Amino acid sequence: MDLFLNFVASGLVIGSIYGIIAVAFAIVFKTTGVLNFAQGEVMMLVTYTSWSLGTELSLPFYALIPVSIIGAALIGIVIERIFIRPMIGQPVFSIVMVTIGLAVFLRSMIVMIWGPDAAPFDAAIKDEIIEIGPVVLFSEQLYAILLFFVISGVVFLFFRFSRVGIAMRATAMDETAALLMGVDVRKISSLAWAISAVVSGLGGIAFALMFSRAPDLWFEGLRSFPATILGGLDSPLGSGFGGLIIGVIGALSEGYIGQGLKEISGFFVIIIVLMIRPYGLFGDKELERV
Amino acid sequence: MRTRHFVETYQKHVALSDSPATWSWVAIFIIALLAFPFLASTYLLAMVTSVGIMVVGAIGLNILTGSTGLISLGQAGFLASGCYTTGLLITDYGWPPELALPAAGVVSALLSLLVGIPSLRLKGLYLAITTMAFSFIVTHFLLYAESITHGPYGVRIEDLNFLGLDLADQVQLYLFVLAVAILTALAALNILRTRVGRAFNAIRDHDIAARVMGISLTRYKLFAFAISSFMVGIAGGLMAFQFRFINVDIFNVLLSIEALAVIIVGGLGSVAGAILGSFFIILLPEATREVLDFLPDSISSALSIYIYEIRGLMTGLTIIIMLRIKPQGLVGLWRDVKRYWTHWPLSK
Repeated sequence: MDLFLNFVASGLVIGSIYGIIAVAFAIVFKTTGVLNFAQGEVMMLVTYTSWSLGTELSLPFYALIPVSIIGAALIGIVIERIFIRPMIGQPVFSIVMVTIGLAVFLRSMIVMIWGPDAAPFDAAIKDEIIEIGPVVLFSEQLYAILLFFVISGVVFLFFRFSRVGIAMRATAMDETAALLMGVDVRKISSLAWAISAVVSGLGGIAFALMFSRAPDLWFEGLRSFPATILGGLDSPLGSGFGGLIIGVIGALSEGYIGQGLKEISGFFVIIIVLMIRPYGLFGDKELERV
Repeated sequence: MRTRHFVETYQKHVALSDSPATWSWVAIFIIALLAFPFLASTYLLAMVTSVGIMVVGAIGLNILTGSTGLISLGQAGFLASGCYTTGLLITDYGWPPELALPAAGVVSALLSLLVGIPSLRLKGLYLAITTMAFSFIVTHFLLYAESITHGPYGVRIEDLNFLGLDLADQVQLYLFVLAVAILTALAALNILRTRVGRAFNAIRDHDIAARVMGISLTRYKLFAFAISSFMVGIAGGLMAFQFRFINVDIFNVLLSIEALAVIIVGGLGSVAGAILGSFFIILLPEATREVLDFLPDSISSALSIYIYEIRGLMTGLTIIIMLRIKPQGLVGLWRDVKRYWTHWPLSK
């Protein structure tokens, strides 16, 4: 039983990272209808930038986080402006392909700037051991779970109650109508990219604190796809909790079934889920008029 | 000035192309390719052999993604299954290569039906992710099912004799790949202009409308998956012939993305596009390397460590730029040039 609880806990830890990235996927998808295949790379760029700020400028951790958030938002806005904005009006397929191209581009660029080696991400809040009953966690793992819940809560409240969040949902629902109601639709898209860059960037920092800042960080982006799919691409909260589920399933199957399953059990799960519910567990069923 | 092209006889209607100019260009191109091994270095020859293999795979992907509109991010999985089928059948089961190569196509096609069945309910992005999931599962299986696939140790093919051809020889391998590529291109051209090909296009343009017109979505989507993956599987088998040492490492996500880049750069839904795109994507890193050689030594040696990254950088930028300025790809560019010349001086 202790072993089981520890598996679940480690699953929740990695699942909260998946969840955070999945929330970022869902924010962009919900507002712009584009699945951002470069989300993992945006996350990586934010994490690397923040690592450089932390180690080379040696900012204290509590100053680093606000600076990283601002930096992430800027990165999101700049990427949207340069790569995505000019594609407005093109078919979704083209825009998605641009994000795939962007992913390969950013990944290579990051390795060329920071080099191919991994480096530890140090911070004052790390390496304390916390025992909750039979479950043993490092402090940074606990913070990752907390971060997930904070982000989910904030994103939920933002979309539900804030003026901008409502404008974003309106744009997602009907762009023309939103435009006629006085919503600046162009700003909404860049805002969505900024928010998703911040969210995924925080996830990336949390991940780098647990492991290291390494050039295969982008892969966490791909691993979070099952979470987004499970929860439904257009449901940020659903995607987030999809991440927790995928994480726990991964940890349990790795623990009880076989080695290496942690990475791909999620993909098995989504193939099965998509067979039963092609729009995810919490996604809206798309009705089509002909 | 040519005003219009009239097709006058039945023969002209059913011909692959009724333009003598097209045929003579194709003839010149094929003769050039046949003469190529006697002029080029071994290095260039190996590279153009890779282009040929990529053409086979890209034509396959183009039928699925370009013509039918089903986006696949799992080409690495189909290639890997084809490559391993050929390799393992030859080494462990003693099959002759003549049978092992078609078997690669058949295995990939059967696997694609497994992915295709859930895909009947999925659209666009969800499908792309399912195919990606499939390719992860395939590579995982190849890596961990050691008793069948040799896992991390890879598969080594000792010698290859295909209908009297010695495929260990560069020139003979090249000619063999060329023949397969030409056959694939002919097959694809013929499939795409028949009822089946038009059904594919109808599904791409609007699947519900296609269904209303009596096209069975189930049958044609699965058919597109099967044909496309058969070709990709054959390409995988050819990869086994070329490398003769198979390892799961090359079948990564970047390969799937490069495959998509090929057809985007070349032109979606066109066989000529797949060919142009393959040349472009394989020769691009080479061209980059040539350019790097012109830079001062200090810069070029600093950059040469990152040759893999530069390749990624170029692939990514190519996709982005191509989609931005010419979504129809190199084929579209070629058509524009042609139109410009035929209408000159009235072209704008």
